[in-house]
Amino acid sequence: MDQLIVSLMNGIVYGLLLFMVSAGLTLIFGMMGVLNFAHASFYMLGAYFAYSLQGVIGFWPAVIASPLLVGVIGVVVERFFLRRVHHHGHAHELLLTFGLSFIIAESIKLFFGNFPVDYRIPAALDVPAFSLGGAQYPAYRLVMGGIAIAMFVAIYLLLTRTRVGIVVRSAIYKPRMAEALGHNVPLVFMGVFGVGAALAGLAGAVAGAFYTTNPNMALELGVMVFVVVVVGGLGSLGGAMLASLLIGVITSLAVGIDRSLADLLALFGASDWARGVGGLLTLKVSSLSATIPFALMLLILLVRPGGLMGEKG
Amino acid sequence: MRPAIVSLRALALAATGAALLAALPFLLTQGLLNAAIQMLIAALFASAYNLLCGQAGMLSFGHAAYFGVGAFGTVHAMNAVGGAGLLPTPLLPLAGAACGLVFGAIAGWFATQRSGTYFAMITLAIAELVHSLAPHLKGLFGGEAGVSTMRMPAWGLDFGSTLQVYYLTLAWVLVSVGLLYLYTRTPLGRLTFGLRENSHRLRFLGYNVHGLGMLVFALSAMFAGIAGSLQVVSNESANYVVFDPALSAAVVLNTYIGGVKVFLGPALGAALMTFFGYAVSDLTQSWLLYQGILFVLVMMFMPSGLAGLGGTTARLRQRFDLARIVPLVALSVGAALLLSLGGTFAIEMLQRVFSQDYRAMARLQPAGAWPPLQFLGRAWLPAAFATWAVPAALLASGAWLAHLARQRLRALADAESASAAGANAHPSTRLAAHPGGTA
Repeated sequence: MDQLIVSLMNGIVYGLLLFMVSAGLTLIFGMMGVLNFAHASFYMLGAYFAYSLQGVIGFWPAVIASPLLVGVIGVVVERFFLRRVHHHGHAHELLLTFGLSFIIAESIKLFFGNFPVDYRIPAALDVPAFSLGGAQYPAYRLVMGGIAIAMFVAIYLLLTRTRVGIVVRSAIYKPRMAEALGHNVPLVFMGVFGVGAALAGLAGAVAGAFYTTNPNMALELGVMVFVVVVVGGLGSLGGAMLASLLIGVITSLAVGIDRSLADLLALFGASDWARGVGGLLTLKVSSLSATIPFALMLLILLVRPGGLMGEKG
Repeated sequence: MRPAIVSLRALALAATGAALLAALPFLLTQGLLNAAIQMLIAALFASAYNLLCGQAGMLSFGHAAYFGVGAFGTVHAMNAVGGAGLLPTPLLPLAGAACGLVFGAIAGWFATQRSGTYFAMITLAIAELVHSLAPHLKGLFGGEAGVSTMRMPAWGLDFGSTLQVYYLTLAWVLVSVGLLYLYTRTPLGRLTFGLRENSHRLRFLGYNVHGLGMLVFALSAMFAGIAGSLQVVSNESANYVVFDPALSAAVVLNTYIGGVKVFLGPALGAALMTFFGYAVSDLTQSWLLYQGILFVLVMMFMPSGLAGLGGTTARLRQRFDLARIVPLVALSVGAALLLSLGGTFAIEMLQRVFSQDYRAMARLQPAGAWPPLQFLGRAWLPAAFATWAVPAALLASGAWLAHLARQRLRALADAESASAAGANAHPSTRLAAHPGGTA
């Protein structure tokens, strides 16, 4: 039972982290129709910037400064790369961001080496929050979860309660109309892109210290983030939150299940047959934990193509 | 009379190309011949991919899955019947083709339910599904060690030498690419273009768009499977690494660098990139970075790819006389050379400065001194101004040449439109509109 609670909490924290990255991605998609392949690269940049800065200015200032830097990079990408190829269509933009993600990953390898760097949380934060059934629960996980929730609340309030939020939402809903009413829509696009990148950078700065910071982190998380936005419904912030938590909890719980499909079939007396077939049927659910999100995504695309909270496709 | 499916000129060109490729082994060393096999395989893979992304307009980010399925299908076919093989060695790619076709049809049924960005995401998810599952299914994919096999002698050939493998690969690649080309000339091939241009209209005309998309997807996967199969025949082993996203990424980069609008563009791009990857692998550790930069440059400044350059030059040639184009081309080539030299220099220096060895060496030095770096046969001081002035100067002069080339092109275009306008207008208004005369 204790173990279940711990893995549930781990799953929720991981889900909140996924949300921090996918929030920006889904906002950018909702607005420009561009699925930004380089978005997870911003997450990686956030971690690496914070790692480089923390030696100079300390941990918390680095966690604040690195998202700002990543946000600036996001603005540059939108202004000088995406906008230039906008007239070629969305597929072209997708390919361009794909190339950029490639360049960012290779540049990181060039500057920091093709191995994990020693980016750790400061000793003052490396304390247990409470202990549960003999196992201690790290306080930093709670900090990460707290930051993600604070971020969700902040974005939600910003989008629904402020004038800026109204302009942004109108630019997402009817860009031409918003432009005709005198709002600078390209500027809004640039801003949202920058803010989305900064959010991913913040997630990287916070999570990179806890998980590993290596040149593959963008790819590993990136694919999962795509799953989240597709499952949640492209462009829907609430959907991204729901899907992030769902996927975080499912993967976290699956790791703890030491059973296979054959055990399930044993209930119907088909155990021997299943073991004879082998392959997928005798695989432990724990080793499938990386596969389940993709299967879930295919399932969602088939039964509810618009995603859990997206518009009907 | 109906127009010929393949023009005589194209046929002659293809025959010349095939003859050149067949003569290649007499000119190359063993190592280069191996590289040539890899180039051929990459070329076929890119051509297969282009059927889907270039001709049908469906952007897939997970084509390694079909390459890998073809590879594993072949490795199991080779090991079947107690190692004797299901098929004689020269026909083994048929096994890869069958596996690719079947798996492609299943995956395609899912993927072509949606289009655009969603389609790209589904292909990515399917590839990741296979990639994350493969290491766990040891019986099928052999775990970390992979599955190894042996080429069996068949039809009086022992397939022991690289030369025989080269000819086997060449034959299959030529046949496959030829079939892919003929496919574009069939009504089905034309429908494939229609899928890219306007699928709504196709549906309106009564075609089954989902079935068509699935068929194209399966065919593309089939040819990707042949490519995977040829790799297994060449390497005599298969490992789940073939499902790696890096392979899916490589085919996207190669295809677009080559140019999707020209039939042989992707094959050209893939062959070139594979060759460079082979040639510079000893010289640099940053080849993938160069490839990425090249891809982004192509996407931003010449969306038609390297193969499109020929078309652009031909169009320029049609519009202007040779005397005006030569300086333009010279300027562009000069700019490209200088820019790439400067960029390469900067990247290589950075790579060396930030490498582990150098940082360890710098730490041993007394307080803050930066030891010199060996590059291009001379020593460079990383802290010296002159070291970074070289790439900066190269880049700046390259940018200046590029600027000049653009100006010249604009001047040419202006002059052309002015003379065209002048030819149409009345003589008196012509003088009024252009007081400078023919400037």
